[in-house]
Amino acid sequence: MGNNFAMLLDGFQTVFTPTNLMFGLLGTFLGTLVGVLPGIGPALAIGLLLPITLTVNPTSALIMFAAIFYGAMYGGSTTSILLNTPGESGSVITALEGNKMAKAGRAGAALATAAIGSFVAGTIATLLLAFGAPVLAEFALTIQPAGYLSLIILAFATVGTLLGTSRLRGLVALSMGLVIGLIGADLQSGALRLTFGNLNAIDGIETVTVIVAIFALASRHTMIKASVLQINGKAWMSREDFKRSWKPWLRGTAIGFPLGVIPAGGSEVPTFLSYGVEKALSKNKDEFGKGAIEGVAGPEAANNANAAGVLVPMLALGLPTSATAAVVLVAFQSFNIQPGPMLFQTNPEIVWGLIASLFVGNFLLLVLNLPLIRFWVMLLKIPTHYLYAGITTFALLGAYALNNSTFDLQVALVIGVVGFLFRRFGVPITPLIIGAILGPLSELYFKRALQISQGDWHILIAGVFPKVIYGILFLVIIGPLVWNFKKQFAVKK
Amino acid sequence: MDIPQDNSIVSPQTFPYMVAAFASLVGLGLIVSVLRGNHGTPDGDEPGDAFTPLNLKTMAIVATAIGLHVILLEIAGYVIAATVCFWGVAYAFGSRKILKDFCISAAFALIVYFSFSKGLNINLPSGIFEGILK
Repeated sequence: MGNNFAMLLDGFQTVFTPTNLMFGLLGTFLGTLVGVLPGIGPALAIGLLLPITLTVNPTSALIMFAAIFYGAMYGGSTTSILLNTPGESGSVITALEGNKMAKAGRAGAALATAAIGSFVAGTIATLLLAFGAPVLAEFALTIQPAGYLSLIILAFATVGTLLGTSRLRGLVALSMGLVIGLIGADLQSGALRLTFGNLNAIDGIETVTVIVAIFALASRHTMIKASVLQINGKAWMSREDFKRSWKPWLRGTAIGFPLGVIPAGGSEVPTFLSYGVEKALSKNKDEFGKGAIEGVAGPEAANNANAAGVLVPMLALGLPTSATAAVVLVAFQSFNIQPGPMLFQTNPEIVWGLIASLFVGNFLLLVLNLPLIRFWVMLLKIPTHYLYAGITTFALLGAYALNNSTFDLQVALVIGVVGFLFRRFGVPITPLIIGAILGPLSELYFKRALQISQGDWHILIAGVFPKVIYGILFLVIIGPLVWNFKKQFAVKK
Repeated sequence: MDIPQDNSIVSPQTFPYMVAAFASLVGLGLIVSVLRGNHGTPDGDEPGDAFTPLNLKTMAIVATAIGLHVILLEIAGYVIAATVCFWGVAYAFGSRKILKDFCISAAFALIVYFSFSKGLNINLPSGIFEGILK
């Protein structure tokens, strides 16, 4: 523990160089920008900026990505409150009470409780990350390939079935991702799979291309119809607001962080849970639905704590469970760094630099955001057709710059069309990305496990760890499924 | 599929077959579910919202703009390809101020080209402006 603290201090030292601070500042700015703009979330923002990994050093680039990560969430709450148009899924709940508060002339208080709540939750959750992830990583070193395979299957199942409105569609998206992951030469034997004779496909489909295409080219282009609400007075809150906010902040953190660590399917679940808790505990129940500050404070804190929680399995196990974590993983990989149990030993300066920059980014956001709020609001006046034209063009640049190859652009076009249809027919897209990234990894562990056992399939469920994981899988996923089916059946009768 | 000689215990075909089985299973499930009337809700809509018709026209124009970008990129250079793409997408989403759009598109393309090729040292094809835009 003491050692980790020293490492964290080293991390701060890494961050506090003029260059890295500048990248951090740039990241907070860009992050807030994309959070405010509808249609771009943190995953896409980092995806679009991945080409900079070609020229910028790993530490600086990852510091910038960390800042974008938190910045986008701050920005998302702004659009929820002032426009009633959530910038990303974690801010949907914020719009419920936040927009009502803004309509009642309390936009300043709503923005302030969202920003300060995000800061408090982000700081606590990053502390938990700093001291929790190394412990998890140490434990993870003892996990056998079969155990890893079970973890990946659990991640597949939770991401595939808990996101979106339809479990089946989530699994369809997951299977498409797995197929995309198969394309290219098999890592061990070199056998070409699904390349159909195309030489460009031998190296497989770039994850970045998939992410950028599916988020940018296929984003749901809704036009902003509502007008931007005015902020009266300063974006700050009264003593009374503060009194009503601090408990929801802490409760939101307590709900958001654990649900991020265990893959529970995106940031909607914790924000929704937090909203429910605040509504149940509030002394001002009648205010809910009309602009209760607790309904903004809790979910916003939960949203940020959740995002930090998701980084725990990403850093310690190499398992991304949200689209944003997946992109951060890809950023690591483009520097030839593989997140996982060994990360804390092989690249301590980078991982602790990243964690330290989460603290710094969080603080910069608190300082910069509230005073700059009017500037962010101005951005919302950019006509949407220019916005989407810019996003599309920029996304194509990102896909091209990676390999300087138009093959990647052709792939992006195809995946963009698929993604457009996915969105239109309610198929969630995150499972596809997770499938494409974790598919090859799951095959690797699958093969390793069978090599250890000389081909005996029993190894896949040998030992305590895989059994526990598959037990959880059964309880969380298959249990409710069977139960629902029974209920439907009973109703039909 | 050509399978190179190798002595590994798991054939490179095993995992793809497992994926294929899974994909067929869920695919079949989806077909059944759709035939039974569960047509899916567009992303962002709530179940029960008014049905949004599939906007094929917008999609077709956007896809054309991207296609042109891919074709033009290495022939005519980044600036022209990006101008065409930006302009096309703006048109697809309902902008009809052709000249103004063109100016904004060209400005956007130039800014991106210079900030990436000069600022970040990422090479983008200069195309027909070879020697001029350097």
